[in-house]
Amino acid sequence: MKRRKLIAVGFVALAALVFAIAAGGVSGATKAKSITVWLQTDAQATNWTPIVAAANAQFQKDHAGVGVNVQYQSWGTHLQKFDATLAGGNSPDVIEMGNTEMTKYMAAGAFQDLTADKGSFANSSTWLAGLAASGRYNGKLYGVPYYAGSRVVTYRTDLFKKAGLKVPTSLSQFTTEGQTLLQKFGKKGFSPVYIAGTDWYFAMSFVFDYGGNIATRVSGKWKGALDTKKSIAGLTAFKNFFNAVSRASKTTDEAHPNPYDVYAAGDAASIVGPAWYTCCLGKVYTPVTAQFTMPSHTKGQVMPGFLGGSDLAVPVGADKALGEDWIRDYTSNASEKALEAIGNIPNTTSLFDNSKINERAAARSWFVPTAKNWVNVENENILRNMLAELLTGKLTVKQAAQAASDNIASILNAP
Amino acid sequence: MTSFPADSQIAAESGHRPARRRLTWARVGRASVPYLLILPVLGATGAVLGYPVGYLVNLSFQRYGLPELIQHAGHYIGLHNYWLVLHDSVFWDTLRRTVIFTAANVSLTIGLGTMIALLLVRVSRFVRLPLTAGLVLVWSMPAVVAVQVFYWMTNFENGVFNSILGLGQHDWYATTFSQLGLVTALIVWGALPFVVITLYAGLAQVPHELVEAAEIDGAGPLRVFRDVTFPVLKPIFLILTSLSIIWDFGVFTQPYLLIGREHQYASNYLMGVYVYIKAYSGNDYGQGAAISILMLLIVAILSIFYVRKMVKIGDVQ
Amino acid sequence: MSASAATPAGAPQPRRARRGRRKLATQTGWNLVGIAVIVVMVFPVYWMISTAFKSDGEITSGSWFPLQPTLQHFRSAMAGADHPYFWNSVANSLIVVCVTVALSMVIAFFAAVALAKFRFTGRKVFIVLMIGIQMLPQAGLIIPLYLVLRQYGQTGTLTGVIITYMTFVLPFSVWTLRGFIIGIPRDLEEAAMVDGSSRVGAFVRILLPLVAPGLVATSVFAFITSWNEFIFANVLLNDNSKQTVTVWLSYFTGTARHTDWGALMAASTLTAIPVVIFFVLVQRKIAFGLTAGAVKG
Repeated sequence: MKRRKLIAVGFVALAALVFAIAAGGVSGATKAKSITVWLQTDAQATNWTPIVAAANAQFQKDHAGVGVNVQYQSWGTHLQKFDATLAGGNSPDVIEMGNTEMTKYMAAGAFQDLTADKGSFANSSTWLAGLAASGRYNGKLYGVPYYAGSRVVTYRTDLFKKAGLKVPTSLSQFTTEGQTLLQKFGKKGFSPVYIAGTDWYFAMSFVFDYGGNIATRVSGKWKGALDTKKSIAGLTAFKNFFNAVSRASKTTDEAHPNPYDVYAAGDAASIVGPAWYTCCLGKVYTPVTAQFTMPSHTKGQVMPGFLGGSDLAVPVGADKALGEDWIRDYTSNASEKALEAIGNIPNTTSLFDNSKINERAAARSWFVPTAKNWVNVENENILRNMLAELLTGKLTVKQAAQAASDNIASILNAP
Repeated sequence: MTSFPADSQIAAESGHRPARRRLTWARVGRASVPYLLILPVLGATGAVLGYPVGYLVNLSFQRYGLPELIQHAGHYIGLHNYWLVLHDSVFWDTLRRTVIFTAANVSLTIGLGTMIALLLVRVSRFVRLPLTAGLVLVWSMPAVVAVQVFYWMTNFENGVFNSILGLGQHDWYATTFSQLGLVTALIVWGALPFVVITLYAGLAQVPHELVEAAEIDGAGPLRVFRDVTFPVLKPIFLILTSLSIIWDFGVFTQPYLLIGREHQYASNYLMGVYVYIKAYSGNDYGQGAAISILMLLIVAILSIFYVRKMVKIGDVQ
Repeated sequence: MSASAATPAGAPQPRRARRGRRKLATQTGWNLVGIAVIVVMVFPVYWMISTAFKSDGEITSGSWFPLQPTLQHFRSAMAGADHPYFWNSVANSLIVVCVTVALSMVIAFFAAVALAKFRFTGRKVFIVLMIGIQMLPQAGLIIPLYLVLRQYGQTGTLTGVIITYMTFVLPFSVWTLRGFIIGIPRDLEEAAMVDGSSRVGAFVRILLPLVAPGLVATSVFAFITSWNEFIFANVLLNDNSKQTVTVWLSYFTGTARHTDWGALMAASTLTAIPVVIFFVLVQRKIAFGLTAGAVKG
């Protein structure tokens, strides 16, 4: 009897397949007009989806009968999927891109030129400069700034109070305070400042704070700048700071483990990273948590932080008018306000509020070189490798910086 | 199923050979019948893979990056992609690393698999059932999840490995050797259920009396295995070994996710990761295609010994 | 697992008492080793399941047991607003897997008959081709495969995923089934023919039952391979409601924000259930199935 069942299952499956093909064909033929939007899965959070829904509603009010199909994507694989659709000629009408991902695709001609319509986007005259720069290439606008995120220090007010410490105003003060914390609360594995060894966003902040750079463009060619004196001073300061205050792995990154998990487990007096880390500090420590901006080595100044963020672009082959319209609705003043209310930095300084620490941190920020091959430097993990090598002592700071600098130059200058 | 497959099969085949000609299968079957029978398989694989393989070969002769992908047009540059790949020291380092890695993984998988399968025969029923059940559970675990669990067990802050072994805060991800060691553990662990269950099933068919006879003759367990058990299991070993070589040589998910996207350096690439990073992260689809074709050739060379034996077995009738 | 037949070497035999005691000691030793193997193999599975029941605090502190077990993660996995479409993805995976398994078994069987029962020109080539398909580096095929399915209009449909999976499952299935068909004793075939039954009749009454274990065994591979596949499903399916379980799972770690590990582990535990059920249903046959297929070739 069992084999009868097996055969039956086979036939049912065959029928299902035929039906599926038929159904696919039918629905393809009578397809109503609609646009496809790729957003990152971050926007799938319950406090974020209403903002997307509001933009969709506004869009559909203006374009009766045009559907909006929002498809959420993962950071790890969205570019590969985008590549496939570019090859297949069925790209989405709007795509969210990380700001460091933009340049390569702009240079390759993946997006439509929005320069002429710049004025039609809300607040375009007051766009956050650092973020807006990531959407421009060769003087043309390809990406509309969407939202940004800055990096701050999240710390335990109870431990700082017990140790009699104040919010540090300089790097050296922070270092001393860290050592005090270590002496007072330094059980095994405890970090006064938890820093993942290869957190290059944090390490490069030191480089920029000391006046260094990752790479600079000299008469049309990229030149590695990590081997300059200033950059090496910054990297050395990073190494010293790490050794003084962090007990984290020297080879790990800022997602393994998540710094907020270390904090929630009570193993850190402070963590460095995005301001939204407050989301996930656990019941015990959330009430005794506050944030400050990372102090510079120059007393009283803020250390420049990496400005993360996203842009919205209209890929080639997409319906430009409709895509732009949806972007307009999604980056409207009201929409950006709502994004700000859930902890993001809005795309415009006109909404900035100095009482918000993440927006204060964004005021002094740095960004990666806007070279079309920059993503390859990230993907080949040149900077992380350099940091692991210089922290573990496999190479000296100078050797590691030299090797990375040469490597970066050759990647950025590749055709 | 006959009870003594190895011997009786051969006997049956030679004995029945003349009779077979009278059989309807052969007589009624026109020359076209076998082709009609393999047609669905050829059609399905050909329709889905035929074009992509041709495309891949074609791509390997072109300069094909992101701009070409967007314009759907590459530039033919002959063998230049191959020249570039073969003159890249990263390729050769990665190849050497991957061959060693594959050898380690395949021998560990087959070796441990054999031992556990032999163990499965010897343990009492109350141990055998939970062991089989455990293997099934392991098999059903998606790679993404297995990677995460392995990461937790080995993590620097509070990994279980470190607390069991009393290592304090040992950094398992500090060296390439250690990283690839963990990947090996993950892959071998994940591949064992398939190998063990297959081999165990095979062991159940080893002629009981032959084992006893050998033991009475005073053969030790090793000799029993070599002279009695292994010959029966040989075809299974062939399949398992060649499949393991193919899978482990091209493995991608486990090293990419366990070592982490953030820690893929030229110094710890495996071939699967290398081709992925070249083609997708670096958007050099032409070179990616060239590496893919080279990988196909290399894995064919690595497994040719086993594949030839399989073809030989497949041709005997 | 055919337990009765499978204890040739280690079963205690009533001989002299001293020898019996030694045998008992040996047996206990093997059992202890067996238990150790269970512990090592199952530990990661235990960690997955226990994490699913741990509170968030226990997950981050890496505690061994869920001392305050909670079902919260299962709730948020199945019905959480942050990760919708759990049931859609389970349904999609089941459709994909069932159709893939059923179709592959049918057409693999035909090809296996051809290989086992006919001598024809190109047979060797066909065998090499089947093994060669396994060797294709999947990473290189992602975009070409996307393009060919786009030409057929099958990107974004489960059909596209199904035919893709079939090509990965077929080689192994053909090869293994071939072994089973060869294993059919010829006198049985002859008997069927002498009966005067039609070939189809002979096939259904006599051959199919003998090949059934092989079909079951290969279908297990097909089932697990397609249930756990991620790369192609991820590229081919963009609509969130049309994705498979592994793609749905990947969203837990795909965010730049907080990863909900508890829910991910709960979801993984849940998605393992269909595989385990399928396995429990067929595990008796797989032991026979694999052996026969593999030993004979």
